[in-house]
Amino acid sequence: MGLGLLASRVLRPQTNPRNLLLLRSIVTKPELQSPEASAAAAAPDPTSDLPPRTPVAGARVHFPNPDDAIEVFVDGYPVKIPKGMTVLQACEVAGVDIPRFCYHSRLSIAGNCRMCLVEVEKSPKPVASCAMPALPGMKIKTDTPVAKKAREGVMEFLLMNHPLDCPICDQGGECDLQDQSMAFGSDRGRFTEMKRSVVDKNLGPLVKTVMTRCIQCTRCVRFATEIAGVQDLGMLGRGSGEEIGTYVEKLMTSELSGNVIDICPVGALTSKPFAFKARNWELKGTESIDVTDAVGSNIRIDSRGPEVMRVVPRLNEDINEEWISDKTRFFYDGLKRQRLNDPMIRGADGLFKAVSWRDALAVVAEVIHQVKPEEIVGVAGKLSDAESMMALKDFLNKMGSNNVWCEGNGPTPNADLRSEYIMNTSISGLENADVFLLVGTQPRVEAAMVNARICKTVRASNAKVGYIGPPTDFNYDCEHLGTGPQTLVEIAEGRHPFFSTILNAKSPAIIVGAGIFERTDKDAIFSTVEAIAKKGNVVRPDWNGFNVLLLNAAQAAALDLGLVPESGNSLESAKFVYLMGSDDVNLDKLPKDAFVVYQGHHGDHGVYHANVILPAAAFTEKEGTYENTEGCAQQTLPAVPTVGDARDDWKIVRALSEVAGVRLPYDTIGAVRSRIRNVAPNLLNLDEREPATFGASLKPEGTQNVSSTPFKAAIENFYMTDPVTKASKIMAQCSALLLKK
Amino acid sequence: MASTVVKGALKAIREKGFGTFLRELREEGYTKCLLDGNLLQTKIHNIGATLVGVDKFGNKYYQRLEDMQYGRHRWVEYAEKGRYNASQVPPEWHGWLHFITDHTGDELLMLKPKRYGAEHKENLSGEGEEYIYHSKGHALNPGQKDWTRYQPWQPAKSE
Repeated sequence: MGLGLLASRVLRPQTNPRNLLLLRSIVTKPELQSPEASAAAAAPDPTSDLPPRTPVAGARVHFPNPDDAIEVFVDGYPVKIPKGMTVLQACEVAGVDIPRFCYHSRLSIAGNCRMCLVEVEKSPKPVASCAMPALPGMKIKTDTPVAKKAREGVMEFLLMNHPLDCPICDQGGECDLQDQSMAFGSDRGRFTEMKRSVVDKNLGPLVKTVMTRCIQCTRCVRFATEIAGVQDLGMLGRGSGEEIGTYVEKLMTSELSGNVIDICPVGALTSKPFAFKARNWELKGTESIDVTDAVGSNIRIDSRGPEVMRVVPRLNEDINEEWISDKTRFFYDGLKRQRLNDPMIRGADGLFKAVSWRDALAVVAEVIHQVKPEEIVGVAGKLSDAESMMALKDFLNKMGSNNVWCEGNGPTPNADLRSEYIMNTSISGLENADVFLLVGTQPRVEAAMVNARICKTVRASNAKVGYIGPPTDFNYDCEHLGTGPQTLVEIAEGRHPFFSTILNAKSPAIIVGAGIFERTDKDAIFSTVEAIAKKGNVVRPDWNGFNVLLLNAAQAAALDLGLVPESGNSLESAKFVYLMGSDDVNLDKLPKDAFVVYQGHHGDHGVYHANVILPAAAFTEKEGTYENTEGCAQQTLPAVPTVGDARDDWKIVRALSEVAGVRLPYDTIGAVRSRIRNVAPNLLNLDEREPATFGASLKPEGTQNVSSTPFKAAIENFYMTDPVTKASKIMAQCSALLLKK
Repeated sequence: MASTVVKGALKAIREKGFGTFLRELREEGYTKCLLDGNLLQTKIHNIGATLVGVDKFGNKYYQRLEDMQYGRHRWVEYAEKGRYNASQVPPEWHGWLHFITDHTGDELLMLKPKRYGAEHKENLSGEGEEYIYHSKGHALNPGQKDWTRYQPWQPAKSE
């Protein structure tokens, strides 16, 4: 018996009577008669059998106008995208990640690295997808041999002049070139000549350059011009002599210069303080919040063991996009210097002696009972979190005093109307404004990320900016209207030409600096600004352009919690002062016999006045809620352990209250938060901006007159504003080199 | 064989005197043989074997090729008669002793690098905590607490 016969016997269906019902009669269908129809039926729908793909990194498409949607095909998948998107964006929506070096979604398109080449049907050559607009019906192919060969060729050219120093390169492990050469490169090179070398540039104390590694993607040049707004970097030369540089030797003076480290796809620009300190795979990332200014930029604290090794930004479209200021990025070495690690008591000889917590708290509790309740004063510092401020206020209230405030809020803060101290437009909302009036504020030094938004808006929509305050430099076009409140009054009365600018604007934004809180005529200035807002139609149901730009991370939460002193000059008669990380409060008028307790993490000005020091945790070591200037509450998370004997701020106050016999009713951070819920529930709405409920119209009319004193700069040194940054060596270098006039 | 031992002993007593003989007997570890079977067996093995070499610690390396089971024909008599263990064999003799190589330790010692060749140390585990290396973070390292990763504020400094 032949093999074929055997096989056919095995395969022949058994004629089972039950299966007779399933037998089909042979019929003919009309579509089988015509060859075209049968071909159409036979060709499977190209979409049906392909597994569904998800967009890259959860990319979502927003159609501003549904009529403008066009359909393109990426590797056979049909994708609907709005008109004007590039081929690369269309591929991202289709779930295909195109390799790229020069393309960055927040920068203009350069199209010079050629890594994103894809094949487009009916196009003779591969096209650079980042620079090619997608056209209706375009058939894009990303994994054809042509596209693969194009990438491999580009990668070979890039690696021709790229040094093979990954083992000593700080970018190693997070390098785009490293990753993409593994994925798309060839396994051998054909280059036998000498590699080119480029002289390194000195860009200042923050950015380390190894220009031989540069692949000329020009991301840093575009970042400096477009986002940072400084014309520092540029491209010199042509061909293999092409270099990124400053043309004449000069330092990068932007306050956002650290971001070029993140956007550089290779190791050409790396962090100088982080150089050779750690590898990125050794680091533990903790998602936290920056507290060096009131913006509350989202950061990731990278730590190794008990040390903070670096700080990098986290994406938050509403606050910092994906940038952070240099202060945020490089202040971290201050966390390791000048730390208070033991409770200390000043002896009779004026010298501090380390003691145990038990003794320190006993001394404080004894003294606080010896003074009159109205002589007790508490000041919260710039870096205090909401939990500790709540505990401090509760504790001092239980002791009978109501003189608690947060420094920076001035002697008579207005905590009644939330719209009077937060940014009502919100930081991302500033992009919709077309006229800015900056009153006594220099956003470039006070809140660099807010300044970046204004800069973005000015670049995008040619918004007009008017500024009242001391002369300062802006990185966008700005009209200097005057230096003092007099100009403000002129605008309010309609005598100033800028008033008509506000009047004609569709969505004007007024930004008032928090430096004005310290002025005696603060109420008058605020009512003048409100007069402008009323006449200029700045506050409408659909647009609220009245903003206050705060200076410190603690300010907004302190005002929300009602940290308002009973009297503006309570320090002059105080006998017991509780400084919770407060270093800039003016203690000159304090009576000499006053007892000062300093609770904090750094030995700064406040410590030298103290009688007792209670060491507390810095924001990288504790869980705390901070509210930023736009009213968005966010939380820090502990990245590293506390140093020495230090404790969380609210726990110290809680322990002290028990020793003093007025026990606070909370033992866990959750219990503190439920207490906060009673006072300011918006502080528990994490990561969500809580707009102010009532407008300024509820405010009673002020009778005060504005003084003619010109506005002062609220911050003299951008790099040194709080105890942590003052202790930092890198920040000291920056202020020595970069603030040179 | 027993007569050879007795003859040798008598010869030694005659040549060196009884006192010296007893002292040498003790130094060579014969007195400990009575309690330590391993040592006794090594001593018995040594009779008729060739002494291949002595290392710098005084360990003696023997070999006997005839009348021996293959694989048992090389052995060491430790210089330390009381607390001997295998880690007392230096690396140059280790290979010879374990049949890794036929080169003796004296031959291999000539290949030892002069500049960075570290001296052999025996393993002192179990001999007491003070002999054992502890990293600087280890609880038993006496100097472990005198360093911090942060710099504390110094109270003596005044403004």
